[in-house]
Amino acid sequence: MDLESIFPRLQEIIAQWLSSFLPGWLAELLVILMVVLAIVLMMVVVVMVLTLLERKILGRLQDRIGPNRVGPYGVIQPVADTLKLLFKEDIVPEKADKLLHLLAPIIIVVPALMVWAVMPFGKKLVAADLNIAVLYVIALGSVTSIAILMAGWGSGNKYSLLGGFRAVAQLFSYEVPMGLAVLSVVMAAGSMSLQSIVKAQSPLPFAFVQPIAFLIYFICGVAEVNRSPFDLPEAESEIIAGYHIEYTGVKFAMFFLAEYINTFAVSAMVVTLFLGGWKGPILPSYVWFFIKVAIVVYVFFWLRASFPRLRIDQLLNFAWKFLVPLGMVNLLVTGIVVKLNVPVWLTVPAYWAGNFVIGVIALYLLTRFTPKKTPVSLR
Amino acid sequence: MFGIGLMKGLFTTVKHGILTYFKGYKHPFPKRYFTEGPAPRLEPEGVGLFTLQYPEEKYKMFPRFRGALMHLRDPETGKPRCTACGACALACPHGVIEVVAEGKGKERKLVDYRYNLGRCIFCRLCVETCRFNAIEMSHEYELASYDKDLVLHLEDLLKIGDKSGVSEKDWAWK
Ligand code: SF4
Repeated sequence: MDLESIFPRLQEIIAQWLSSFLPGWLAELLVILMVVLAIVLMMVVVVMVLTLLERKILGRLQDRIGPNRVGPYGVIQPVADTLKLLFKEDIVPEKADKLLHLLAPIIIVVPALMVWAVMPFGKKLVAADLNIAVLYVIALGSVTSIAILMAGWGSGNKYSLLGGFRAVAQLFSYEVPMGLAVLSVVMAAGSMSLQSIVKAQSPLPFAFVQPIAFLIYFICGVAEVNRSPFDLPEAESEIIAGYHIEYTGVKFAMFFLAEYINTFAVSAMVVTLFLGGWKGPILPSYVWFFIKVAIVVYVFFWLRASFPRLRIDQLLNFAWKFLVPLGMVNLLVTGIVVKLNVPVWLTVPAYWAGNFVIGVIALYLLTRFTPKKTPVSLR
Repeated sequence: MFGIGLMKGLFTTVKHGILTYFKGYKHPFPKRYFTEGPAPRLEPEGVGLFTLQYPEEKYKMFPRFRGALMHLRDPETGKPRCTACGACALACPHGVIEVVAEGKGKERKLVDYRYNLGRCIFCRLCVETCRFNAIEMSHEYELASYDKDLVLHLEDLLKIGDKSGVSEKDWAWK
């Protein structure tokens, strides 16, 4: 059997078997639930693998070994972590807003899981090929900030409230350039469905056609999931743990889960929008998808090991004074190229020329206006 | 130019990450521990893996390290040198030591020596005052316990002393 259609075929077989003894609507519902369950379970496994990988890779990048006690080479460490979190006592602070404190961890996980409904894992492997998938993903990204603010306010703790404020400021600021970067891709592909965006990336993926949009999206992606160097909402050295400071046990596990699912989701979006999604030779498409996502996730870990945290004013300045104008200019260039109706062989060179000019100007401005405060000894 | 510093930073971390597989312990994957003994410490410019795998490998403590108190034996008679004079108990700023003795004058004999580890601040004043070469700080540092009043008695202190192989007070100062 063809490896490409193994999963759709499996679904068909199960649907036929179910409808042989169940009424039609129930069989259909069960099949849908089965897909949902498969995605959720896959995400839980992915999160477990990611936590281990992050600790291992981060350790290596910092001259350490990383977990190596539980099981051979520490591979059962995530299981031990999960068990520990599940058995921990659930503490609700006395001053907490009980309802918000309870709801926040639930609300943060749901959108993180919902993103995967539209993600094209492979050529024939997408739960729902929405024609406004890009809009859907961006909208779900904003729901996260509500949950974070709920957690920050509901905990009744000044550090968590600070973390919540920071998170909202950061997420809203970085959604704007992110939207602009996505928009130029959508314009170039001429569709908002992720599946057709992936198909539009031939012969070159958009990362090589529109490098500036790619960079903007990548930076905003890191900021969206609160990862270092943009991890202000949970900066350990400043506000201890930020918005999830008062959470223990299962509730904390929910935040943890959402954070890693979001990291994975942003990597998957980078891959889908800019790196050609599931496209690739020889291997089945879903394998290619996961290989590419793994590479992007590695870059995320690498960034975390390399860069110190930004200050909040630097963070917001960078978003509003640099990324937003850059995204707008990039959008303008994309619009001109699309509108001019240049012949097909000329589109890619036209994008390159536009991106090159913008890139050079942006680099010049950054170099010119970045304050040079490096101590003489470090220069 | 902007961005060169960022590139340098990224390059540094990835260089360190890759070199951990080739330098240091020279094991492609982290083993649990090694029999070669304690690993050398990493110098500032160093690359590679040098993590000490604690319970299996331990650093040798420096000679003047102050761990739990121990009692010393006279190597000839094999008896503890302590005469139960009580000078250490008087010198201790925390009242950690309690000397239990029997008899008066020449008959005075040591029965028990209670050392409340939980209150000791490892200042070594007790050792300084001892005239009979009877007590010294050991290199024992794994002293965690499940209950709050961890009191070591004479036998425990003698056991630590036997384990350390030290028979003279102030050996590290000579
Ligand atoms: S080391 Fe200091 S605190 Fe500890 S028993 Fe001796 S005198 Fe007391």
